[in-house]
Amino acid sequence: MGLAPAGWFAVVRLLAIETATAQSAVALTLDRQVQATATRVDRTGHGTFLVPAIEFCLDQAGWFPDDLDAIVVDVGPGLYTGIRVGIATAQGLSAALGIPVVTASSLDAQALAASTGHRHIFSVVDVRRGELAVSTFRPVPGGVVRDSEAELMDPDQLRDVLMSDPGNPLVVGDVPALPDSVLRGQHRVKVGRPRYPAVRAVLEIGMSKLERDNFASEPLTPLYLREPDVNLNWEKLAPEDPWSSGS
Amino acid sequence: MTPLVLAFETSCDETAVAVVKGREVLSSILSSQVDLHARFGGVVPEVAARAHVEAIRPLTHRALVESGVHPADLDAVAATAGPGLVGALLVGHSFAKATAFARQLPFIGVDHMEGHLMAPRIEFDTFQPPAVVLLASGGHSQIIHARDWGEYQLMGETIDDAAGEAFDKLARLLGLGFPGGPEIDRAAEGGDPRAVSFPRAIPDRPYHVSFSGLKTSVSTYLRKTRRSGELPPLADVAASVQEAIVDALVDKTMRAVDDTGVKVLGAGGGVLANRRLRARLEEEAASRGVTLCLPAPALCTDNAAMIGVAAGHWLEKGHISDWAAPVDPGRRL
Repeated sequence: MGLAPAGWFAVVRLLAIETATAQSAVALTLDRQVQATATRVDRTGHGTFLVPAIEFCLDQAGWFPDDLDAIVVDVGPGLYTGIRVGIATAQGLSAALGIPVVTASSLDAQALAASTGHRHIFSVVDVRRGELAVSTFRPVPGGVVRDSEAELMDPDQLRDVLMSDPGNPLVVGDVPALPDSVLRGQHRVKVGRPRYPAVRAVLEIGMSKLERDNFASEPLTPLYLREPDVNLNWEKLAPEDPWSSGS
Repeated sequence: MTPLVLAFETSCDETAVAVVKGREVLSSILSSQVDLHARFGGVVPEVAARAHVEAIRPLTHRALVESGVHPADLDAVAATAGPGLVGALLVGHSFAKATAFARQLPFIGVDHMEGHLMAPRIEFDTFQPPAVVLLASGGHSQIIHARDWGEYQLMGETIDDAAGEAFDKLARLLGLGFPGGPEIDRAAEGGDPRAVSFPRAIPDRPYHVSFSGLKTSVSTYLRKTRRSGELPPLADVAASVQEAIVDALVDKTMRAVDDTGVKVLGAGGGVLANRRLRARLEEEAASRGVTLCLPAPALCTDNAAMIGVAAGHWLEKGHISDWAAPVDPGRRL
């Protein structure tokens, strides 16, 4: 037994930013103890909510911005604009305060907060254009283990996947926003909470990464899961060059 | 005391960061996405927003280093709040707001068009209201009567395509690349602007412009001459097309100058990088004894220095934005 590394016993003030879905949420912890949270559901309001909410939480905790030690931000999958607002805000704070920032996934944050003993967890996030990001998780003592990388599917595919699951699946995420057909007649499937990525789980994920990686920053790469949707009209874009052909 | 402002501009396809002290530009850097969008023939909003989020932090670092300013000495942080692409605007706006909040500095959301309007102040002491200002870019073509700073009357604007948009579409018809303005500018070199007389649309309002008719007539002209084998050289057609756009902008702008009786003419926006337009404005202003305040091309196209200058002005007047300030993609000056 030797002495713990320097800083090991220092208190950690962590800010979580969660704007990957219709929900916007902010929370502060002091050594894993939640000090303040603020949440709003408004799918276009991430940009107006975030900084006032951070200010509110800091006020509740009695801290100033430069008291923060680290930031964790949800990088998706989810709503592109919300994800970017969260990442840009985290980047601005991190750069201006000179503190590390790490990432969490919305699917992980939902699964980790899912209330289940033994069910197979399907974490679902709406990524617009009729598609859902889905990952599956297994509950283990003290948390969950992800079975599959995030995958894009439409609601019909989700229905089929749930139907063919041999266990008793638990679906978490914004299930009320799914078409009724997804769960109709699926008696083995249970709908669980949370509806949106739990900011406390985001904090948990962030804290674990910071401890594991000695407070190193991570690249803030958004989890878009697909290329930009660009409708190319080549006909229109590449007309015949009037000067090139001899006819 | 002259305020030291860190400014961001991400309304379209340029990620731009600058540090300014009043009207003085200490650093102004820019990461253009032109190459990213060129293959699509126009700016793709989602592509633009993705690129902003990657570029903004390293660019901020560089802008601060190049300016020699220590972040602790900044007086305010500013960002474009609109008009522009919502997803693109939100990146710079959120980053700027968070930076300001972290350092407990005032945050100022700036109108992109007011940024262009104030850009001539960077280079010209003489640029003072009352003035007429021509703002022409890919998204806007406006003639503004600035009675005072913050007191702007929109005298005229395009009734259909913006001038930059017209350049893009016409370049495409001519088989040229994107963005159209510089492509046509280059192609028109040595060409005869009187080779083809394309009709100048005259909207019935005195200071408005219109470019959609030009598109149709160029398209028809190309088809006909090509069929008959009488297609003139590209340089001549490009020069003639360019002349039609330039004519419309210059005629309406000078009419506004004459009617208001102002002695100062300012201009900004990406289209003002066009060499023919610059030359024509210089001629017309000189012949009237009007002071033309036409910034260098790099200050006409989108940049963050102009946002910083406008923010510095409003900071001195005590106007700051609150933390809940939204972006407004359809913002009107």
